[in-house]
Amino acid sequence: MNTTVKRLSVVLIALTLVAAACGGRDDDSSSSDDGGSDSGGESASGAFINPDQDCTDYKGTQGITGDTIKVGTIRPASGPYAIYDQVTAGLDAYFKSVNTAGGVKAGDGKTYKIELVKGDDGYDPARTPAVAKQLVEQDQVFALVGNIGTEPSLAIRDYMNDNCVPNVSLGTGSPLWGDANAYPWYISALPSYALEAKVWVDYIEKTNPDAKIAILYQSDDFGESYQKAITKAIEGTDITMVAEQSFNPLGGTTTEAAVTQLSQSGADVFIVGIGGTPCPNTLKFMPESWKPMTFISITCAGKTALSLAGGKDQGVYAAQTTYDPSDPADQSNPKVVEFVQQASAAGLDQNQIQGGISSAGWGFGANFATALGQTETVDRAGLMNALFSLDVPAFGLLRDDVTIKTDGAEDPWGIESLRVVQREGQGWVEKEKMVDYNGQSNSFKGE
Amino acid sequence: MTTEPADPPVDVATEPPASDHTDVPLAVDTVTDVAPELGSPEVLSSAAHGFPWVRAAAWVVVFAVLIILPFTMAEFRVEQMCGWIALAIAACGLNILTGYNGQISVGHGALYGVGAYTTALIVTNWQWPLLLATVASAVVCFVTGLLIGLPALRIKGLYLALVTLAVATLFPLAIDQFASFTGGSSGLSLTSPEMYRGAIRDRPVRFDPPGGLASDQWKYFIFLAIAALCFLLSRNLIRSRVGRTLVAIRDNDTASEVSGIPVSRVKIIAFGVSAGLAGIGGSIFALNSGRVNPSSFTIAVSIYFLIAVVVGGAASIVGPAIGAVFYGVFIDIITPELPESLKPATPVILGVILILLMLVAPGGIVGLWKVSMHKLAVRRARSSAPVT
Repeated sequence: MNTTVKRLSVVLIALTLVAAACGGRDDDSSSSDDGGSDSGGESASGAFINPDQDCTDYKGTQGITGDTIKVGTIRPASGPYAIYDQVTAGLDAYFKSVNTAGGVKAGDGKTYKIELVKGDDGYDPARTPAVAKQLVEQDQVFALVGNIGTEPSLAIRDYMNDNCVPNVSLGTGSPLWGDANAYPWYISALPSYALEAKVWVDYIEKTNPDAKIAILYQSDDFGESYQKAITKAIEGTDITMVAEQSFNPLGGTTTEAAVTQLSQSGADVFIVGIGGTPCPNTLKFMPESWKPMTFISITCAGKTALSLAGGKDQGVYAAQTTYDPSDPADQSNPKVVEFVQQASAAGLDQNQIQGGISSAGWGFGANFATALGQTETVDRAGLMNALFSLDVPAFGLLRDDVTIKTDGAEDPWGIESLRVVQREGQGWVEKEKMVDYNGQSNSFKGE
Repeated sequence: MTTEPADPPVDVATEPPASDHTDVPLAVDTVTDVAPELGSPEVLSSAAHGFPWVRAAAWVVVFAVLIILPFTMAEFRVEQMCGWIALAIAACGLNILTGYNGQISVGHGALYGVGAYTTALIVTNWQWPLLLATVASAVVCFVTGLLIGLPALRIKGLYLALVTLAVATLFPLAIDQFASFTGGSSGLSLTSPEMYRGAIRDRPVRFDPPGGLASDQWKYFIFLAIAALCFLLSRNLIRSRVGRTLVAIRDNDTASEVSGIPVSRVKIIAFGVSAGLAGIGGSIFALNSGRVNPSSFTIAVSIYFLIAVVVGGAASIVGPAIGAVFYGVFIDIITPELPESLKPATPVILGVILILLMLVAPGGIVGLWKVSMHKLAVRRARSSAPVT
């Protein structure tokens, strides 16, 4: 038996040696790895990202073939957060729409068609890395666009950053994306949740200076960013946080018990830092006897989500930055008219067009296309550099008084204008005019 | 202990009619596997030909494939295979406990998690060498396993399963509870401070490969070597005196006690060793993915280990590895290719496959292999036997 083992090991060692001698990877195109990493510093003077310095294996033009740019997106197509699949539907419709119109004119003067590949992670950060790697390495996408979910996006941040693959138009406004020096391949297409919280608190302070806040938040970075930012924003005011409850989005339970408990706290302000269908369900669980000022996340403030609240959405407050295609007040706005027309031509149905979720995805697509039009070189670093030096008028369904400005790590947030609105019927009533907080979003982040 | 005595080879050669032993499925659940020297298939073939060529050839092919694969696959595929290695090691641990010692645990997902978090915390906070963190994870899990094993002294069967089920359910909640150092549901990245974009920042840890290899290939070979070591040690353990006492306790603990085996000590140690292996698996999981997250260690993971053990063949050393590959191929390669409409039905499909597999091969894939080898040997022996 011993000789068997010996013979086997000899064969195996021989095999290992042969394999090691072959070395490398057969399918590796080993693109632009030859550039010395110490030569950098001078190219693209002043640009935010310099791939020669920041990347070890930079594949700047992966996903661009001829006049097509292939991008990927990751969203939950299943589970309680599956309503965000409509974001992707909107993103898809936007790209279809521009492709039909000829494509996106990029900074190099060429016009590109955009191809979208979708991945599904079920909002589970444990599943996201595999999906992202498959999109980047197997489908060979140029970038990820319009990803959903703070935790899922966080789960792949190291991977994307390490491989110098852009993850842009993020469908999450976590303050985490404000650390652009450490993670320069990430940029959001939502206002920072911390800014949102700041805007709420300012409004609360104005209308109810002694407010007692009860907060329900997802026990993840999404929910906690609201909780932390509110804690920071109420410092130095007479507002107090009287009750807190967290909710595990993957726990398979509802928020009912937490809402009931919070309703007993005597709070007169209720903050709902919850996304997906659990958000409208939370409103539904509120007992009739409890009538606080209720604030909901921007990720919940649309018809699709709120129609699930069983009428309890009336009177809730939100911070808003876009036109709402279902709001009677916005119906005649030229941007909305154009959106409705183009989106239905691209295959979105009436519910999706009105729902407020697909229109967000439409905006994420517009954000990407706008940046592509501003690129100096059409490659991954060029895209990021354009996104980090934007100065453009409102695109997509953003309200006309919103301006988009970014400036590298100093100001990594594009959308920093919000107004406070209150739900009435199928629309919103403005309670506080649009305020521009350009360059300040990072300062509202709580600890 | 010898409920199903192994037939001496002579029997087969001198008994031409198809009697019971061709039909007896050589359930891996017998003594045969503990002492293969006595078992029929190997002895038969080697007795006839001196050297188990089929077996040896199979091993050579398997290793050749294992070594060549990472050179032909995309990086993310290699990482998926690294994940299967982690699963295989943990399943090997569970197998020692469940397959050989007869103690059911549905809590190994939690131990896997403890291993992963131990590695993540040690690497990120103290910058230990990566493999030292793996050793530490094994030790931490060994001790944790001893503690979890304590109730196993008094209860068994369903009741033990329930206790371990509680452990598995509680683990993600505990991670949430101690969010200040575990990162809560946001998880933890395995990082080390490095110079990046003009400042010292936390950057993901990686294995620095020797020339010619890519980082993912290098870590694959490291993990493969660790796995080989774990499986080799498990094999030796099972074939040793301790291994025989494990099986004796499984088959009849009262008789073992009477025969002078320290039943409680052996049971506890089985739990510890099994947990230690789960910890090594978890550590490899963390090093491979560079990130740990409570949703990676839910009760479902414990079930995956059981699937790997049962599909591969309980109470056989290589069984869990085969089962892990089976499960990995299903989840990582087949599932993503399913049409969009079938994807929600993935668990059902897996369930049906499992049921069919258990019908065809109750002893798992290894059991199936042994039965067919046995039949082959019988046929060979029969054809060469002189007609009397």
